[in-house]
Formats: sequence, C-alpha cells, structure tokens
Amino acid sequence: MAKRKHENKDQDESAKKPKEDIVLPPVINSNEPVQRQKKWINKQRVLVLSSRGIGYRSRHLMLDLRSLLPHSKPESKMDNKDKLFVINEMCEMKNCNKCIYFEGKKKMDLYMWLSNVPRGPSAKFLVENVHTMSELKMTGNCLKASRPLLSFSKEFEQEEHWQLLKELFTQIFSVPNHHPKSQPFFDHVFNFSIVDNRIWFRNYQILEEDASLAEIGPRFVLNPIRIFEGSFGGPTLYINPSYTSPNEHRRMLRRSVAAKYLMKVESKKGHESRKPTNSSYDLDPTDDFFTVTPEDVG
Amino acid sequence: MALFKKFTNRIPYESDESVSSDAESLDSDEELQNAFAAGKLKSGFVIESAPKKQLIKNTTGLRQKLDEMKQDLAWIERLDMTNDSTQLPKSMVDEDIGSGDADVHNDFKREMKFYRQAQAAVLEALPKLQKLGLKTKRPEDYFAEMAKSDDHMKRVREKLLEKTLGMERSEKAKKLRDLRKYGKQVQKEVLQKRQKEKRDMLEAVKKYRKGQKDKLDFLNNDDFEENDKKNKKVQKGGKGGKPGVNRKRVYKNAKFGFGGQKKRSKMNTKDSVNNVSQYGKNFSKIRSSKKGMKNKRPGKTRRQNTKSRK
Repeated sequence: MAKRKHENKDQDESAKKPKEDIVLPPVINSNEPVQRQKKWINKQRVLVLSSRGIGYRSRHLMLDLRSLLPHSKPESKMDNKDKLFVINEMCEMKNCNKCIYFEGKKKMDLYMWLSNVPRGPSAKFLVENVHTMSELKMTGNCLKASRPLLSFSKEFEQEEHWQLLKELFTQIFSVPNHHPKSQPFFDHVFNFSIVDNRIWFRNYQILEEDASLAEIGPRFVLNPIRIFEGSFGGPTLYINPSYTSPNEHRRMLRRSVAAKYLMKVESKKGHESRKPTNSSYDLDPTDDFFTVTPEDVG
Repeated sequence: MALFKKFTNRIPYESDESVSSDAESLDSDEELQNAFAAGKLKSGFVIESAPKKQLIKNTTGLRQKLDEMKQDLAWIERLDMTNDSTQLPKSMVDEDIGSGDADVHNDFKREMKFYRQAQAAVLEALPKLQKLGLKTKRPEDYFAEMAKSDDHMKRVREKLLEKTLGMERSEKAKKLRDLRKYGKQVQKEVLQKRQKEKRDMLEAVKKYRKGQKDKLDFLNNDDFEENDKKNKKVQKGGKGGKPGVNRKRVYKNAKFGFGGQKKRSKMNTKDSVNNVSQYGKNFSKIRSSKKGMKNKRPGKTRRQNTKSRK
C-alpha cells in the first residue's frame, strides 16, 4: 500500500488560519517539549477487539472499522474463557473509554458489543449482512482519518432506547475534533437508519458538493438484543421484543420443513377417519329383489 | 389436531388463528373444542404462542443513563445530524419512494432511502461547516493516506471497465446478429425479384412471338436494372459491413458437412489419442495456408540479391 506524504497540508494551513491545528515545523529540536494539543477536548478512545472463532469476513469488518476510526486502539484476541468484565480492565489499561467487542459463536453468528467503559451503558447486537470495504462493488474511497459526518434517521428521536443508542453511536463513531491523527477535510458520511427494527449502517463518500455519493463500505445490519446499565454487565435496561436468537431462527426453519411432512401425515389420517365406510347414498334392500344371478337360474 | 409453536413473522407462511389473551393455557384438545364451540377460535390450525418472554423497557433508567452519558459539546465536535430522506429538494428526487417503512426486502428502494438520507445530511452539513470556516472539499493535489489502497482502487476501476466493455460487446453482437438476419431477408427478396423478372421477360417474349404484343418496349427497361444488381453484391469482410466468411463454419462444414469425412474417420494412433491441440482451437483465427505460403518466399530480385551477397 502506497503511503503518501502530507505535502500541501502544512503550507496551506499555517498560512491562512493560525487558529487551526498546531502545525509542527519540519525540523524539531529534541530538547524542546512537544506542544500539547489544547484544542482536542473531546477525548474518546475506542478499544476494538474480537474473540476467537470469528471468521474471515467478521475479521475484515473489524479491521475496516479500525482503519476508519483513527481514535481506536487494537487489541489481540480475547479468550472465551474469561468473563466479559475483563474487557473493562483491558480498557482501563489502555486508557480507553469506549469499546467495540466482536464475539463470534459457532463460527456462524457474529455479535457486537458497544460499550461506554467505566460505568456507562452497553449494548449487545447481532450483526447481519456484513459486506466489507474490500468488495469490488464498493467503489468509493476516502481519507483514512478524516472526520465523518453522522446521519441518523428520524426514528432515532422517537424512543428512549433509540436515543440512548444514538448517543452511543455518536460518541464511538465520530472522530474527535482536532484529534492528532485526524485529517482535515470532510469527505465521507456514516448513515444509520432504522428499518424493520434493525439498524442499517452505510458509509458513503461525498463525491461532489451537490451531494453525489459513492459507497465506500463496510456495511452491516445491527439487530439490538439488550441494553445493559453497566459496561458489559449490570441490570438490563431494554430487551428487544422482536429479537429471536439465530439458534431459534434456524430451529424454526428446520421445524417448518418438518411441519410440511407432519401436516401431510395428519391430513391423511384425518381423511381416513372421516371417510364413510358404507356407501354415501341410502340403499333400499328391496332394490335387488329382482336381480337374477347365474346361480339362481337352473 | 396438531399444535405447533408459534412462528414469528420471519417465516413466510402463517396459518390463520386468533388466540385470545387468556388462551395461553389451551393445550388440550377438549379445551380447544370448547373454545371453538364457544366461537372464540376460527377454523384452521391453532398455534400455541411461545412462552412469553421477559420484556423490559426501563424508560426512566434509559433516560437517566442518557443524561449521565451526554456530553455538552458544540455540534462541530460531534457532527451528528438527524435526517429524513424526504428532506431533499424536489430537483434531486427522480422517483417517489413513498414515506413510511418501505419494504425491507425491496433492496433497491431500501438502498435509495439510505442514499437520500445521506444526501440530505450532506446538504445540511456542508453549508454549516463552510460557515464555520472549515474547508470541506479535498483538493486534487492533496495526497494522503486513503482508506483503500491505490492498488485496490485500480482493481475496482478495472472491474467497472470490464463490465462496460462486456455490455458493449454484447450489444455489438446483438446488432450483428440482427444485421445478418436482415441481410438474409434482403437476399431472399432480391433473388425472388430476379426470378420474377426473368419470368416476366420470358412471358413477354412468348407473347411477342405469339403475336399478342407488337412492340419490343420491354427490352429497353431491363438495361438499367442490370447495372443495379451488380452493385448490390455482398462485400466480403471489411469494417462495418456484413461479416465475411465465418471460418469456424467453413471448418465445421468441411469436417461434418454431408455426413462428414469417411476417409480419415478412424485414425487413432498412440500420439493422436493424447493430442489435445485441436480442443478449444480458435478457428476464426485460422487463415488458409496458401496466402501465407506466398508471402514467406521472397521475390526474385531479393533472392538474387541475397544470392549474390553470399
């Protein structure tokens, strides 16, 4: 991957706007203390990690998120043996106040935890329909660390649990202003919509000022399961009534296939039981008085 | 009657039922029959609803947590917006998607909805940012690390190109096919016309001989039409005209036409069994060997010159 230098950034910025980011001169004397970033007040650091047994697609999704969020910190795979609250300690060690944790079960299902680490709420989602950034149908491209615009659909204002999730998304997915790794222009937008009780995530590149867009990816669908009061634990604040676990869903599919056979068997049995054994019309015993059989004759 | 666990609306089929709210305990046939007699149940399969899940929605707790978590920051720090796909001006909207929850499974509509929502966000945010004095558009000469590598973007471009080329090629092939069909029709008509003229001519001559016609006018008109027919000859090959000889067809005709060759039909030698050079051969690239032979040998003067040099 070719890495290019920030050539024009320094000259433009320092010449025109002195109140922008502190621009470092090309030659620094190591005895001088590094100037602190005074403008960076929103200190969010996100720990992005996964469990074992996650699969290649989910791993690429995680890597895409890491590359799109410059305020993220990577972490090695977590063992499934440890309880979830260990993640809180890991975040504390790395000085992170948010966490995205990908959990893979049965090598098929992907769950995502979003959490505000020290004391805040956490939410567990089932991730569906994952498409990564490296799919060739996603034609857009953006600066790696530019700040995204966040767009939420109007359903996020209507219920309390959606409002809480909106706040969580905003704090995790928006790159803080004047973050040292962030890049200046605004060229992509994260789109969160609620359709069919699920949250659909899309990432678009802003091609022109008249709002023509190209999709960059990744794209995924989050099905909320539960919202907890504490980070990775604590009392439950919200349970999604329309959520069925993937195991249950697979079980129902299998049973519906089986039901077809069972229904056929049942209907056959019912037909047999309801079938009249004698003829359906009334027989008069005097009808065959005059019939002649060959035995009678002669 | 069989009882099945209730299926949620993810399963396409649902048998009709109406289970009243106090019917959770209906699990014996007799009770079902009583309920049916009482008119509480409709006919069809009765589905026992799944055991009620524990549903929690702690709105006060949610609100409390939200207030705890909220940061009092200016909009520029967060850059979040709430948009509706219907906020776009009419000029940008080509078709009407319709408000409300579009069907989830209609992919195109759903994606258009998301696209429009993002567009509305962009149109809202960019003026705000520009008012704050921030540059929003990345200049062409600004080189920095991108989310996708240059290599990857190259492959994306190649794929798009491939797609457009493929479409063009299929269009061309379709047009050629239609042209060929039309050409065949024209040829048929021309042949018929010629035959008709020949017939008419002969009849006119016959009539003249038999004395029905006294003038020989019919001979004059034919001269002009003869020249036209010569110009209508089919062009072989060439650009834009009808396609020339189909060499693949020529080869196949030679091999399989009129019952196929008999002389060399059973000639499997040890080498020919394993020889697969004829498989997948591109017959349209084969040129008859005579032309090549001519060109390979240099002309007389050249031969003499090289001979003399030796």
